[in-house]
Amino acid sequence: MAAAPPPASRRISTVIEPRPPARSSSSSYIVGSTPHYSTTRRHSLYGTEDRIIIDPGSKYWKVGFSGEGKPRQVYQVVQGDGEHALWSWHASRTPEEYEEADRMLSSRLQDTLRAVFFESLMTDPKSRKVIIVEHPLLPLRVKDLMARILFDNLNIPSLSFISCHMLALLAAGRTSGLVVDCGHLETTVLPISSSRPMYPLLRTTPRAGAHLTTHLRSLILEYGTYHPPFASLAGSANTAPRPSRVPLEILTDAFIEDIKTSCCFVGQPLDVSETGFLSTPAGGRDDRMDVDVETPVSHGQSLHASPPSGQRSGSHSGAHTPNRPPQTTQDFLSAQYERQSATFDFMIPVTPPPPLTGTGRGNIRIPGWVRERAAEYLFLGGDVDEPSVAEVILQAVLKVPVDLRKRMISNILVIGGTPMLPGFIPRLHQELVRTLTKPMPTPSVRSPKRRAYDPFDAVRPLAAHVAILNNPSPPPSTSVSSQNAGKAPAFAPSNMAWVGGSLAGVLKTGGEEILHDKWDEAHVTEPETPTHEVVTKETSMVLPDWTRVPMVVGAPHAGKHAPRQFGLTIREPVTA
Amino acid sequence: MPPTIRYHCNCTSLASGVPPPPHLPSSAYAFHPLHSLYFCEECDAVRCNRCATVEISGYYCPNCLFEVPSASVRAEKNRCARNCFLCPVCTNTLSVVPSDPPEPADGARTPVTISAVGEPPFFLYCNHCRWDSVDAGITFEKPTGLALQLQKTEDSAPEILELEKLKDYFEPALRQAQAQQQLHASSTAHLNPIQAAASSALSRDIPALKYSSGRRPGLGSSSSRRGVPPAMPSPGVGHQDIDDPATEYKPRVWMSAGGGIGHDAEVEWLANLGSQGGEGSSQPVVATSNSGEIATLSQRLHATQFSWAPTHSLRTVDLKPTRVPLRSKKSKRCPKCTHILIKPELKAQSTKWKIKLVAGNYLPGIEVFLPTVGQNPALKKTGKEKEAASAEEAAAANMMLPGRSYPFHLIFSNPLYDPITVRLSVQRSLPAASATPIVPDTPATPMVSQSHATAKRPPYAISLPTTSFLVNPFAEAWEYEDDEDEEMFDEDDIGINLGISRTPGRSGTGRDGGTKTKAKTVGVLERRANVTKIGGEVVVSKEGKGAVKFNMLVSYTYRSDDAAPEEAKTDASTPASKLSSTKKELLAGATENTKTFNFYTVVDLGAIAPKEIIAKVEKQERRDSVQTVGVYN
Repeated sequence: MAAAPPPASRRISTVIEPRPPARSSSSSYIVGSTPHYSTTRRHSLYGTEDRIIIDPGSKYWKVGFSGEGKPRQVYQVVQGDGEHALWSWHASRTPEEYEEADRMLSSRLQDTLRAVFFESLMTDPKSRKVIIVEHPLLPLRVKDLMARILFDNLNIPSLSFISCHMLALLAAGRTSGLVVDCGHLETTVLPISSSRPMYPLLRTTPRAGAHLTTHLRSLILEYGTYHPPFASLAGSANTAPRPSRVPLEILTDAFIEDIKTSCCFVGQPLDVSETGFLSTPAGGRDDRMDVDVETPVSHGQSLHASPPSGQRSGSHSGAHTPNRPPQTTQDFLSAQYERQSATFDFMIPVTPPPPLTGTGRGNIRIPGWVRERAAEYLFLGGDVDEPSVAEVILQAVLKVPVDLRKRMISNILVIGGTPMLPGFIPRLHQELVRTLTKPMPTPSVRSPKRRAYDPFDAVRPLAAHVAILNNPSPPPSTSVSSQNAGKAPAFAPSNMAWVGGSLAGVLKTGGEEILHDKWDEAHVTEPETPTHEVVTKETSMVLPDWTRVPMVVGAPHAGKHAPRQFGLTIREPVTA
Repeated sequence: MPPTIRYHCNCTSLASGVPPPPHLPSSAYAFHPLHSLYFCEECDAVRCNRCATVEISGYYCPNCLFEVPSASVRAEKNRCARNCFLCPVCTNTLSVVPSDPPEPADGARTPVTISAVGEPPFFLYCNHCRWDSVDAGITFEKPTGLALQLQKTEDSAPEILELEKLKDYFEPALRQAQAQQQLHASSTAHLNPIQAAASSALSRDIPALKYSSGRRPGLGSSSSRRGVPPAMPSPGVGHQDIDDPATEYKPRVWMSAGGGIGHDAEVEWLANLGSQGGEGSSQPVVATSNSGEIATLSQRLHATQFSWAPTHSLRTVDLKPTRVPLRSKKSKRCPKCTHILIKPELKAQSTKWKIKLVAGNYLPGIEVFLPTVGQNPALKKTGKEKEAASAEEAAAANMMLPGRSYPFHLIFSNPLYDPITVRLSVQRSLPAASATPIVPDTPATPMVSQSHATAKRPPYAISLPTTSFLVNPFAEAWEYEDDEDEEMFDEDDIGINLGISRTPGRSGTGRDGGTKTKAKTVGVLERRANVTKIGGEVVVSKEGKGAVKFNMLVSYTYRSDDAAPEEAKTDASTPASKLSSTKKELLAGATENTKTFNFYTVVDLGAIAPKEIIAKVEKQERRDSVQTVGVYN
């Protein structure tokens, strides 16, 4: 206590804080010579010219005005501990459950949207056009509800939905590229060519933020230790309580989120080859290792394309394969990770949850390798249902027409909250290259005759062209096209889509605008209908969406089939 | 948790106009405490904060109470542009302190807050967490107009400049594309401009596509380039193609500027942070919350440096102070008739309202309490209450036990200057037990009954008085007769139990719940001034669990003549002016016109104790009693 000098006694001239090296880059903060209010002056102060850009996520919302470089507010919409996200993929079982879930969603959306206007932005919704940055797989129900609340409750003059992938690409100054959105619920890969999103080629994997949180929680449960506080203040230091396993009650969502967002990072790839460790444990998951390596397709290439520089230990695959088979893959992995990790452990103070007591706060020790390797989950080879992030990107590339593949793979843009993990993007690049250049799997004893199957055989030659546009630390370029790497503007990945929305607002471009009049026209029937209704009745206006075929103006709306709905097994419309 | 009552606003009704059943979580969004509701006189309806139309009528800084003109709010980004800053670490407000005089000061902690005299480098200091802006590299020459001094860095922030550059890059191509699109408005009408721009680029590459819009097919692309029709924007020199690699966008600051050194260093720093060594060695503790070298996500989000990768850093040291966000005074209107419901005075210091139509002036206020809960005889231990009861016991003491019945009180207070007649009925989401009175005019609730048919029946039954009862008009304290004094005096010591034991039930069913109160009362218990106390009863079934909540329809009838609404309006709009109200009471009784108003409420009586807790407590009790017996013997 006494050691800390009172702040006022500081000599400003003498105190020079040691600047961490990374800070030097922020000197650009002052470089610009733009006069005051360069951006604001061009726009009206009150008018509707500045649109409101809302980037609604299931967990975080970003809101602000167009023409500004960053959102006014980024905040977590769901504060309570019970719920993880505003919406999720969970389906309701019964119609009653569905209706209730729908009411909840609607109520929360309404509260959130009202808060956007009245608390975050403090503006009059009646005079502001709104752009919603829309995820391509945003449940249509959410979209409908948002439109209804914005028009009916908030009376906005016009609304447009624009694809977040498209906007992010705009913010990167491109119109073609492969946009990878690694968010909370899903990782979505969407190729865009000439600003045309190729929605049918969309690939997704659930390996994203939410699953990472779950994974991190189980890692901490398994490998973390809990150091309880002293039971009483009387005891001496020798009677310190023994560390124990981490109680589950401590690991609330907020706590895990805190750990995930502040002390986790993504380490360099480990040199244990996948085949090395996964085929050692007997039985179990080795089915995908049965492939063998008779075809030397692109073998030479894979040799020449050495793993990117900066790998921690230079030895190649197989060198670390242990002699003794460990109990489980998991144990083996953790042992491997622990051995290779130079990351320091973390002690995080926590307040003991109710059943436990003690004086003050206890600590949770998080092993360094957990911090470093938790995100490994996103990169480890997956299966059909859950491809890894790198695999899902390559799958998307595979689906793209041959002519575009090279262009796509050398214009990858990574956006979303999960890539804010330090080291994520460089690691993703390495994983992409590694997947494309890894030597064919070692021959399996069981089926030596079978031809090796590599799902990414066709794109292997593109390994040299892999480039992530917003890679903060790109490897030295190996080809002309991979020079793109790192050449995107330095917007943070999580805000890329919002910035694109801001840009689109300034440029007055964007998706189809839905005007309030049109909305009202479509809704003249039953003006007194309460907001909560059975779904099929109320959607008299069809919002534009890529899942709905664009129709000629005036074409009759086939109201027969129920729209794609969130969380509901499609039911027949309730007709009286 | 004490029992609560919330009022329903019609904006969130089910299809049939009834509120959602009380046990659904969405019920929380449909009911509001009375003090947060408004009342529209034109529509004769309750309005809530979720449906009222909100208008911002003024902005002010909550710290310096400066009223910001709305013209500058936009440019100042909704934040105080004077001297108010928030601590990036703990979001406390910061104060400006000068640095010390040259002579080395001793440890006397006397930070001189805002004073014009002081050494020139001023900095911001947090009184709560001792953060100071020197760490963030921010010092000031003058102690005033700090925001203005920082404005420069804000305006020339790299992300804004980058956005401007992006805009300049895309704009020409877009305009051109739009012009072209207008020229031959065709089937591409639904395309947005950026797609149109791209498609024009596409069609330049593929001649066949170029004329697909029906103009002069058969000519080569080269000829068209030379012989352009005059009105046509030339696709040749000067044409901005969005997809042309020649005009590729060059960002001001690109992601990998500096060769990724910054990023790698960040990872390295993070990896080396923390402690290494065995369990026994002294470990430096690194906290992620509030103190520590790593800024939490919320701190980083708050400091809004999130948007620009080079300035985005995990380190607490790099957090910048933020200007205090402005607050706003809002006036609200009825969504249907756009009449003003509430309108504040504009002065930031003022807490008064120009117009205030709050529901509390129109609807009877209802209070609920359960007199006997908290004294569950089964859980009561002789002389042992003062000893530390376990957490379960404490919890169970405030919960209802299964298989018992409890009386509860509803206290109605009438805000109107007319007497009102109130009639209660429980919404039919409850089992039609014989004890549950259903008023015939309860609206049919197909939605609820349907959903209820599948749901489990609530494990309790509610009894309420079936007859209507009177609540006397509101009057000022000095208007009451003297003989009422003693009754009013009673109010203080009625306490929890007293009311029920003193006034034996007039219309009570008199069922014995097994508790010590002999007289169970359902009916009017007490009437004094403008308050009437009503007794009800809840019977909890044996296997009950969860919360006891029920929807209650309150309909009240009051006399109204033509002048009545206006009177009420003046009353309500000036609730503080209660001086002129004496004669209104006389007026009110004059006419025979009656009006009835219905509203729903949800009454939450508290939770039923779960079985585990009861079992635990009972076990404990048995042990205790055994011990006691042992001691006494």
